[in-house]
Amino acid sequence: MDATAAALIGMGLAALGFAGSGVGLGVLFGKAIEAIARQPAAEAQLAKYIWIGMAFVEAVALYGLVVAFIIMGKA
Amino acid sequence: MIATAVAATAEHTASSGMPQFEPSVFGHQIFWSIASFFILLYLLKTHVLPAIEKVLDARGNKIRSDLENAEQSRRLAEKAAIDTQKQLNAARRMAEQTIEEARLESARYREMARESLSQELAKKKSVALAEIETAKQKAMTELHHVAVDIAMLATEKLIAKNMTKTETNKMVQEAIAAIQEHKGQVH
Amino acid sequence: MSSTVTSTDVTNHAIAAVAPKMDPLHHFLVTKQVDVSFLGLLDISISNSVLWMWIAIALVMIFFRLAFKNPTTVPGRMQSLGELGYLFIHGIVTEIIGDKGRPFFPYIFTLFYFILFCNLAGLIPGSFTVTSQLIVTATFSMSIVAFSFVYGFYLHGSHYLKFFVPSGVPVLLMPLMVPIEIISFLARPVSLAVRLFANMTAGHTMLAVMFFYVITLPWWGAWLPFGFTVVFTGVEIFIGFIQAYIFTILTCVYINDSIHMH
Repeated sequence: MDATAAALIGMGLAALGFAGSGVGLGVLFGKAIEAIARQPAAEAQLAKYIWIGMAFVEAVALYGLVVAFIIMGKA
Repeated sequence: MIATAVAATAEHTASSGMPQFEPSVFGHQIFWSIASFFILLYLLKTHVLPAIEKVLDARGNKIRSDLENAEQSRRLAEKAAIDTQKQLNAARRMAEQTIEEARLESARYREMARESLSQELAKKKSVALAEIETAKQKAMTELHHVAVDIAMLATEKLIAKNMTKTETNKMVQEAIAAIQEHKGQVH
Repeated sequence: MSSTVTSTDVTNHAIAAVAPKMDPLHHFLVTKQVDVSFLGLLDISISNSVLWMWIAIALVMIFFRLAFKNPTTVPGRMQSLGELGYLFIHGIVTEIIGDKGRPFFPYIFTLFYFILFCNLAGLIPGSFTVTSQLIVTATFSMSIVAFSFVYGFYLHGSHYLKFFVPSGVPVLLMPLMVPIEIISFLARPVSLAVRLFANMTAGHTMLAVMFFYVITLPWWGAWLPFGFTVVFTGVEIFIGFIQAYIFTILTCVYINDSIHMH
């Protein structure tokens, strides 16, 4: 297989990591909305943790992106 | 699309896809990151943070002194309220006392009035009784006089008819007894 | 964004090579303007990256000087904003570290505003995003973690090594748990650096790709990516805030770990 083609496939596979981040975001916001629905008074306090959690979850997808870019450099 | 990107990037970065991974630009960025951080730290520490802290402290002091003033005012107000309450209580007590005194006074006046009235009534009654008594006495005396006069007349008439002295006396006695009897009937 | 740079660049390419080439990473390229080295040992060149660090510093100073130009007890709009910025960081530090965090406050304050203004200045068209350089974020994260490590030893002595021994774990599992703890500690600077770098890079790359479509598509199709870039720039401002916030929070957490252990 051509090295460039393999690199392109590898980059595509690295993008699969976004799926995990998507699941994470879904779980995060789903649970957050559930929690706020149960305890609307805690919204302000929860919002802080939601955004922090979002940044963490999002970062996971971006690690995949970095990997893709690294592969791009190796091609 | 990515192939074009790869090709384009390959033009300016020979070793790596991302310009960020080009080691030749690391050195000066490490140095300047740290240097810039400390420059900013110095600038903020000398120019910004003291100004902010001064403002915040000033506001804190102002709020504190305002709170203290408010507290003092509150205490004054409380004291005033207590004083007012005391005055009110005193006034109320005085009013009650006055009412009580007035009540007693009026009772005394009423008692006095009743007393004087009954005294007067009694006096009037005794005067009336005395008057009745004198009138009665007078009437009795008059009656007696009339009776004596009648008796004298009767006696004179009897004497005129020549009656004995003893008979006359006897008749006078009888007349007197009759008057006495009459008097008893009057009583 | 360097979209203008990219777009003109791409247009030049288009003129040269008939078909425009997409080059979304071009605006991350560091170019040395003045090549200086200190005694041949230390590279202190001035590049566009360094220039935008200074611009970010200048913006921070302008912002706070404007906010506190003539400070009053009852604050105006700008002053309220400046005070909010101060109290925000103060709240983070006191909440996470507590009273012992007081000496670190100026450092954390500086760190937050440096990163925030680098993130935001990177959104100015034609600018350079300093925080999209892995080496810059890595410099900060490595310094922070190294400092927390050294400070932990300074405070607790050899007792600090207990930090790597999780409590309440059976002795049998120790050979497994201790390396995990050490690896998770070593992963701290990496994750801290890569998170910020990757967020900035990804956002700006996305914008660059969209701008490429804006200029290559015909006018009736270009509106879609253009509208997207407008919305996404707003998202990027938000992400710039969030990432600076996360970086600051994690810095406080790491320093707190070395002060209070766990």
